[in-house]
Amino acid sequence: MAPLNRTRLLCAMLLCACVGTEPQSGKSLGGTLVISTGSNPDILVPALLSSVQAAQIVDLVYDRLANIGDSLNILNDAGFTPRLADGWTWGRDSLTIAFHIDPRAKWHDGAPVRSNDVRFTFQSTTDSTLGSGTAALISNIDSVTTPDSATAVFWFHARSPQQFYDATFQMPIIPEHIWKGVPPASWRGSEAARHPIGSGQYRFVRWIPGAVVELAADTANYRGSPKLSRVIWSIAPDFNTAVTRFLSGETDFFEALRLENLPEVARHPELKTKKYRGLGYIFAQFNLRDPVNHSRPHPIFGNRDLRRALTMATDRVTLVRSVYDSLAIPALGPTVRAYPTTDPNLAQIPFDLARARQLLDSLGWRDANGDGIRERNGRPLQFSLIVPNSSRPRVSVAVLLQEQLRQAGVKVDVEQLDFPVLIERERKRAFDAAIGQWNTQPSPGSIRGTWGTAGSRASSGSNYSSYENPIFDANVDSALSSFNPAARKAYFTRAYETIIQDAPAIWLAEPLPTVGYHSRLQLAPLRSDAYWAHIPDWWIPADKRIPRDNAPTSIVPAESAGKKTP
Amino acid sequence: MPGQTQEFALANPARPRESPLALVVRQLLRGKSSRIALVALGIIVLVGLLAPFVAPYDPSAQPDIVALKDLPPSLAHPFGTDPYSRDVLSRVIYGARLSLLIGVLATIVSLTLGVAYGAIAGYAGGFVDAVMMRLLDALLSIPRLLLLLGALVAWPRLSVGALVLFLGFTGWFGLSRIVRGQVLALKHAEFVMAARALGASRRRILLRHLLPNLVSPIVVAATLGVAHVIVLEAGLSYLGIGVPQPQASWGNIIYDGADQIATLWWMSLFPGLFMVFTVMTLNILGEALRDAYERRS
Amino acid sequence: MLRYLGGRLVQAVVIVAIVATITFALIHLAPGDPFSGVMDNPNVNERVRTTLRAQYGLDRPLPEQFVRYFGLLARGDLGWSFSHDRPVTEVLATTLPNTLLLMAIALTGSFALGILIALVQVARRGSTTDHALSAISLFFFSIPDFWLAILALLAFTYWLPLFPVGGTVDAVTHDYMGLGERIVDRLRHLALPALTLTVLASPGVARYQRAALLDVLPADYIRTARLKGLTEREILRRHALRNALLPIISLLGLSFPALLTGAFFIEKIFSWPGMGLAVITAIGSRDYNLVMGGVILGSIMVTAGSLLADLLYAWADPRIRAR
Repeated sequence: MAPLNRTRLLCAMLLCACVGTEPQSGKSLGGTLVISTGSNPDILVPALLSSVQAAQIVDLVYDRLANIGDSLNILNDAGFTPRLADGWTWGRDSLTIAFHIDPRAKWHDGAPVRSNDVRFTFQSTTDSTLGSGTAALISNIDSVTTPDSATAVFWFHARSPQQFYDATFQMPIIPEHIWKGVPPASWRGSEAARHPIGSGQYRFVRWIPGAVVELAADTANYRGSPKLSRVIWSIAPDFNTAVTRFLSGETDFFEALRLENLPEVARHPELKTKKYRGLGYIFAQFNLRDPVNHSRPHPIFGNRDLRRALTMATDRVTLVRSVYDSLAIPALGPTVRAYPTTDPNLAQIPFDLARARQLLDSLGWRDANGDGIRERNGRPLQFSLIVPNSSRPRVSVAVLLQEQLRQAGVKVDVEQLDFPVLIERERKRAFDAAIGQWNTQPSPGSIRGTWGTAGSRASSGSNYSSYENPIFDANVDSALSSFNPAARKAYFTRAYETIIQDAPAIWLAEPLPTVGYHSRLQLAPLRSDAYWAHIPDWWIPADKRIPRDNAPTSIVPAESAGKKTP
Repeated sequence: MPGQTQEFALANPARPRESPLALVVRQLLRGKSSRIALVALGIIVLVGLLAPFVAPYDPSAQPDIVALKDLPPSLAHPFGTDPYSRDVLSRVIYGARLSLLIGVLATIVSLTLGVAYGAIAGYAGGFVDAVMMRLLDALLSIPRLLLLLGALVAWPRLSVGALVLFLGFTGWFGLSRIVRGQVLALKHAEFVMAARALGASRRRILLRHLLPNLVSPIVVAATLGVAHVIVLEAGLSYLGIGVPQPQASWGNIIYDGADQIATLWWMSLFPGLFMVFTVMTLNILGEALRDAYERRS
Repeated sequence: MLRYLGGRLVQAVVIVAIVATITFALIHLAPGDPFSGVMDNPNVNERVRTTLRAQYGLDRPLPEQFVRYFGLLARGDLGWSFSHDRPVTEVLATTLPNTLLLMAIALTGSFALGILIALVQVARRGSTTDHALSAISLFFFSIPDFWLAILALLAFTYWLPLFPVGGTVDAVTHDYMGLGERIVDRLRHLALPALTLTVLASPGVARYQRAALLDVLPADYIRTARLKGLTEREILRRHALRNALLPIISLLGLSFPALLTGAFFIEKIFSWPGMGLAVITAIGSRDYNLVMGGVILGSIMVTAGSLLADLLYAWADPRIRAR
């Protein structure tokens, strides 16, 4: 790439200013947001991604038909705002929704967005050769038809309060003309996956694996230009390097500050923090089935009373306070307080070490040989607890839990595993106990996949505990088919109380995500499920910009083409 | 060399033939630095052995996980506390015990394997020796850490015992070469052939001539070997693939404080200092021994 | 000479073959199926599975698997790294240069510094300078690699923010910089890891060279030189150093393994994207192919290093050359 000279630069910038759409209210286009992260995006295909970073990038590059509102009201369509679809009509029997596609919508390569793109997105997502986990979530959608190029009609099997949510939230729309020629089984390694073309307010620029992902503002976007001209993810190999890059000023934003980072941030006057209610909860789950022979119950955790005893032996409140202090609250159960359907006063199993000991005694687990560990029929009360080593707080939780259960005469071996290895062990149900964290979707119905019988039986299900209780399932199903908000809440409350008393897991913490950001950034509200949802509205006042904000965006670095890891 | 020892003995009939071990110890006590190192090492070993009596607290106890966590050094906790409110001084003391134990046990395994392998190769000679030496060259070409990492990817869950074995199985290569050299030299030494001709059993030759000459290289290899293993184990624990929780080893403690290095500096500083200190003493002793051995021959 | 070279090359090939066998054995001695993580995982690309099957002949008897493995290896195919979603050779080819860069700088730096220290110590042997340098040498010789790297990171990026934290370049702005700025950016990122590795490797050289010099000094030709009236310094420079240089060459070959090990920890702590960081990360993801590829490559490097050293030695030592 030839070195820039001043005149060329000036011309380029002027060109930029003339051609681009000026965003509203005098907030001039400009500024760079550099997000510091310690994890890689896995794949930039909406139907296949499973990492948060990939979801962030996809949400900015692609559009959904409609977006959920900040209050997370997913009942029918009242809480949604138009996006790729500028309007919709329900069929008379409410089993169809006809979405009208915004005529101004265009893909980043210039082609117009048409209804066949919507149909293609649905068909490919549900194509079994693609192997997408989303397919199971949209089982209520029968098909998508396209009466004309601007209308896509969704046909549903049954009436449900989540119809609109299913049709919109689960599927960012992808361009048919890009993906049509690629067989779904090969999507993962394909060129199209490495250079996503979407219709969102940011266009993809480059992705250097392990180092950088860069997006640039789509200044001619049908919904208007976003205010920041570039969004960049600076990928560090681990959490601490990522935080250090934030603290040193190399980056502007860090999405998940931990307790120990806060004093550091406080020492930098130009950095600020913001806490918000998240959709995640952390727990220590038990494998209810024998890892060696899945048809048998687990020799230790198959017994409900023993699980309750272990829960009773755990001082959850103190544990959470030690690891997270003010950055998390004790979890109620497999749910979060951000859901309107969660009752904050759910009945809990109390912390009572004495009673736990009695319960264990009565179950036949006694310490016969005085080594501090209980035995029964020659078998010690001992199990292994697997935890991802990528998350220090969770490792801390495991070590604290290990010591607390030791007080009750239980021996816990903590096994720190790499995240993919841990997921593999969980998928194969080859574990005793595991520290897990679910970041749930805006719909409380996602609990069917994580704690419902269907999620236990399906090979791609996430119910790693193999918890199966038909009462729990029935209550969840009733809740999800109720159109009455009060009834929904009542059914969910019954479901949650059932599972809490069954104790397939020790419910530990509900983190309060805390972001750190440079004070020159003006943020928009942080949505609970996706703080990044309103990034197109973030801006930097012109008088506060720093040198890297002003790097020209019209020049794409030539070296990015086919670049490998630096 | 055996021949020279005999000459020396003949030249100075008044001085009785000292066992190499006594010679070695005397050499150690002569130099000032090695005397200090010996005392220092002795103190560390003693502290490790008497850990249950010396350590002020139970190293795994988590007395108050909210109020007593992450405390900087104070009178009550001279080395501070860790994120689980465990006393770092106690953990460093028990860590001395575990790290030294792992070092010694692994080195014993290495020494046994090294002597056995080298003796067999040297004694067998010919094709067997050639094959064994090629295998040894191959093993020597893999940096020890790499070999360990390669093994650990296959065996993820290691108990302390298994860790000792793995460390031991990767540390014998250099010594076996030396042993083989000695055995070969012995095989061709004239006085051995003479002794054989006179009817001396192989075992007597082994005991009277081979082993005494091996004592020095073995002791040197042992001392330096323990130092290597201590550092290796610490490195593996720092990567998270060494000693499991809640046991304390020096590398382990650094790992626990690794993600808050700046704020929990006491968790990196003290175990590290102990490690450097111990390794320095072992290096001083090992090299004093090596100097004595080389000077003698 | 040529025959010697040929012989050593054959030996080197045999050694690498044995190493490959060892890695194969390690993979298959391990508990559980090393590839189930890939084969059973629905999220993995189909191409990866086919490649694995072809490479390892899974489901075939063990001897046949070994033959296939070896055949592929002989053709330079180290298999597929599923954690990077690229061939292992590609991953290593992109990361190895970064490791070599660190090692090259550390090698030259540590030898220069080490020889300098040794010369100073021998020139003033017995003085306090000598003792002080010996103590400092010993201290840095005994320090664990990763601990020094941690302290360096803490001291020079956090307490005194002189250097950037990790990586080879500033990932965000590097491509937008001018040529001069880019060079400075690269140097700034290179400085701390390279310096740390140099400091770790220097004491070994210093102590070795000091001993070598002290060994050579009593020699006959040195005594002659003294009698001829040369100053101590001239003696050191003209005679002692040259003859003590021979052991340096063998030290060159011997220092490769330690340098490589040191580089591994340095790369991890400074996030330097070299072979070491790739292998250490691969351990966590159980990416057997990448780890074994790294082991084989590491041993090739060490073997090549010692071969090079032997050749240099044979060339430099007139006593051998005359043969």
